[in-house]
Amino acid sequence: MRMFKTLLAFGSLLALFILLNNNQGSIPPLGKFLNPFAGFWQNGTQLDQINEVLDVKGLRDEVKVVWDERQVPHIFAENSYDVYFAQGFLTARHRLWQMEFQTHVAAGRVSEIIGSKALEFDRLQRRRGLLFGAEQTIKAMEADPETQLTLQAYANGVNAWIESLSPATLPLEYKLLNYKPETWSTLKTALLLKFMAWDLTGRNSEMDLSIIRSAMGKEFVDRFYPDDTPGTDPIIPPAKPWRFDPLIAEEAAPAFEPQFVRDLREDEPDKDNGSNNWAVSGKKTASGFPLLANDPHLGLKLPSIWYEIQLHSPGMNVYGVSMPGAPAVIIGFNENIAWGLTNAGSDVMDWFEIEFRDDSYTEYLYLNEWTKADIRIEEILIKGGETVRDTFAITRFGPLVKFGKSRLQNGHPVGLAMRWSAHDPSNEMSAIREMNLASDMETFFKALEGFGAPGQNFAFAAKDGDIAIRHNGRYPLRNQDQGKFVRAGRDTTGEWRQWIPYDQLPVISNPWRGFVSSANQNPVGEKYPYYLGWEYDDYERGARINDRLEQLEDITFEDMQALHMDNFNKQAQLILPFLLQQIRAENLSEEETEIIEDLKQWNYVSDPDQKAALVYKQWWVRLEEAIWDDELTLYGEARERPTRSVTARELLKNKDLVYYDDIQTPVRENRQDIINNAFHKMVVDLAITLGQYGETWELGKARGTDINHLLSVKGLGRTGLFTGGGSGIVNATKKTHGPSWRMLVELGEFPKAKGIYPGGQSGNPGSIYYDNAVDGWVRGDYYDLHFLTSPDVDNNSKLSMTSLRNYQ
Amino acid sequence: MISMLVTLVLVFILQFLFYSWWWIIIIPLAMGFLEKDSFAKAVAGNGLGVFILWFGMSLYQWSISGEIIVGRIAEVMGVGSGFILALATGIIGFLVAAIAGYAGFSLRKILIKEYQI
Repeated sequence: MRMFKTLLAFGSLLALFILLNNNQGSIPPLGKFLNPFAGFWQNGTQLDQINEVLDVKGLRDEVKVVWDERQVPHIFAENSYDVYFAQGFLTARHRLWQMEFQTHVAAGRVSEIIGSKALEFDRLQRRRGLLFGAEQTIKAMEADPETQLTLQAYANGVNAWIESLSPATLPLEYKLLNYKPETWSTLKTALLLKFMAWDLTGRNSEMDLSIIRSAMGKEFVDRFYPDDTPGTDPIIPPAKPWRFDPLIAEEAAPAFEPQFVRDLREDEPDKDNGSNNWAVSGKKTASGFPLLANDPHLGLKLPSIWYEIQLHSPGMNVYGVSMPGAPAVIIGFNENIAWGLTNAGSDVMDWFEIEFRDDSYTEYLYLNEWTKADIRIEEILIKGGETVRDTFAITRFGPLVKFGKSRLQNGHPVGLAMRWSAHDPSNEMSAIREMNLASDMETFFKALEGFGAPGQNFAFAAKDGDIAIRHNGRYPLRNQDQGKFVRAGRDTTGEWRQWIPYDQLPVISNPWRGFVSSANQNPVGEKYPYYLGWEYDDYERGARINDRLEQLEDITFEDMQALHMDNFNKQAQLILPFLLQQIRAENLSEEETEIIEDLKQWNYVSDPDQKAALVYKQWWVRLEEAIWDDELTLYGEARERPTRSVTARELLKNKDLVYYDDIQTPVRENRQDIINNAFHKMVVDLAITLGQYGETWELGKARGTDINHLLSVKGLGRTGLFTGGGSGIVNATKKTHGPSWRMLVELGEFPKAKGIYPGGQSGNPGSIYYDNAVDGWVRGDYYDLHFLTSPDVDNNSKLSMTSLRNYQ
Repeated sequence: MISMLVTLVLVFILQFLFYSWWWIIIIPLAMGFLEKDSFAKAVAGNGLGVFILWFGMSLYQWSISGEIIVGRIAEVMGVGSGFILALATGIIGFLVAAIAGYAGFSLRKILIKEYQI
């Protein structure tokens, strides 16, 4: 009996130990997590404390760090090794978990952290070849000694921070998920750059369009998926002449019907990953100095995407935002120049259908011969110890991403390979570093030459008065519409052979109108001799920015701020009056009449307290569904709809479009019917979720913005933010997406800058600097950015200082 | 009372130096084993010692770390307040230590037949 009791006691103890020492589903390991000596209790504001002196192993000289009131580090180093070392060290201090987790996501290693539920994601991520691309890139980076030094210094800094951690000071998320940081490597930085490239260029409609073309015909695609979005005011004014002899792309391949119809659309980057930037010449500003503005729109998360920093070393003084995990400043300014980025949107990813010899997917048909693919074996570690092996074939058309279902009539399996510019070796890190050091337009553009992927529109302004914008990146030389549809990867047609030469890319400097701008629209007009792609953003944001910049004179910071926060809905202005005309008043309920009255009164400004802004948007979405989805869902899942501006053009011009009819109903609907039906449906739908028409229908309440934690853990994000704006609006704030950094720079004798991002410098959810800027961001406030020239700070200021000293 | 304090102090020192949570198993197990006669002392003494330490340290650490982290984790764990979180921390400590104390005590009863002498 005693024996039994003892065994029972030890048995329970063991069970309790296992239970409390490991994650149970999404519950953290409670023994570890609640342990007051090392659990979450330790991750509070005491970690915000700034030490006056820190001994750090591996520095070459003393580094001085000035911290401002928002904990932005201003690093003053004696040499370039130390400046990047300190950047790595301090970024890790604030953001270690985030930067490491994102490299796991990029590399397809999430199963190591959360277990087999991430296995399919990891598999797909490996096949997409982010790791493969990062390995290519690191080869190019390590061939350049300066880049190598930069990356290694940064990695050493991160590792010095990791070594300084104790079980108590480990970031919270490691405790939640029960794992530890590993050593940082230069490859991880390359992975992060690929991850960013994926986020910005990984969306592609080729499969959808191939399916739509075979189902609905070529005319349908030509008409409703045109290469030039209606109404677009291109980034480079279309009158600009191009003075070069263009290269000629090879003859177009005949149209090809892919056999392989698996949906490519799983887990793709957000369609609205876009941005605004503009630069205004001194001729149009109140101060007479050039002004630059930028707000990159990305998925909004906590910890924030960006980390603000100033880097000062002999020959360099640069301020801006960096990507946690990568050295140098990505968007920012120095004493002489400022620059901002928007996504280029040109097509750098093509899909090819490949015919394989058998189910081993190791040989594929190319020029009528079986050709061996390069085979990589990927090992995916799963939390708990298991390892899954996956073979990964790389063809001359890129890695094989999708396969496993379809066969040709001859019995051979087919799959889809992905050719992506980010798979090629390139050294973006060197370009970014050179950009930070540039002093004028010439040196800046020279730096950009090495920046291959992701393609970006670089807006630029300089103290000497120059402004410019450049549609930068490596774009394959193509025929018209090459890359719009899936192609056959059987021969040389459609293969990428060369890039468009750097000096023939779209660029404009100091245009007569006194400003340059971009908002992800088509970069060029018809005169430009190369085909770059077709999936650009609708015209509205770009047109609104250009309207405003043309009207404004004596431009000030306040004007720029107002433009960043501009909620004018240009699309509503274009089409809402027409939609309202079509409403059959006799069929409206009392509530609907009230809604229509509000829409009639609306000034098209999508402010957060506007009910009409929400109603209009929801009405529009239902209208798009009513026109297109009945046809587009006939062939499987819903396919990419035509853009807003194409749909608007048809509605305004075309009374009798066959697609207005809902083919699922016996009656034949016309334009007026679907407009009215969509309106009634919208009112019913919104009433179900929001209740009676009233305050809850305000845009900021019904939609608003949620900034979730990267792991979507409830309680660690900031949700229900009262925001306006939306798609097609300069203030492109949406539910979980929006301006991730707003920056304004004036390049006078001494640069003056303002900025804000929706989060805070610290990645620790227990810190006051985790989300301290969120409310200001919602309001449209900015902080003054302190561009310092020396580490000597006035004792009365809000700045504090840390000396990083080497110890052996 | 004394054995409770010994547990409390020993666990405090070891956790202060080496962090790991399972010291609340090791020490009560050993203390239970060293306890000659009182079942109550082995169980309640160890349990209460660790309860007081973990509950007390949670409150203390709360005062250092501030409201933000405690408030957020209370929300993550779906409990109403930081106080409940601290109490839960103490109770888990109690449970583990009490069972460990009992396991140690009953092991001794098997290995050493001292009460028969």
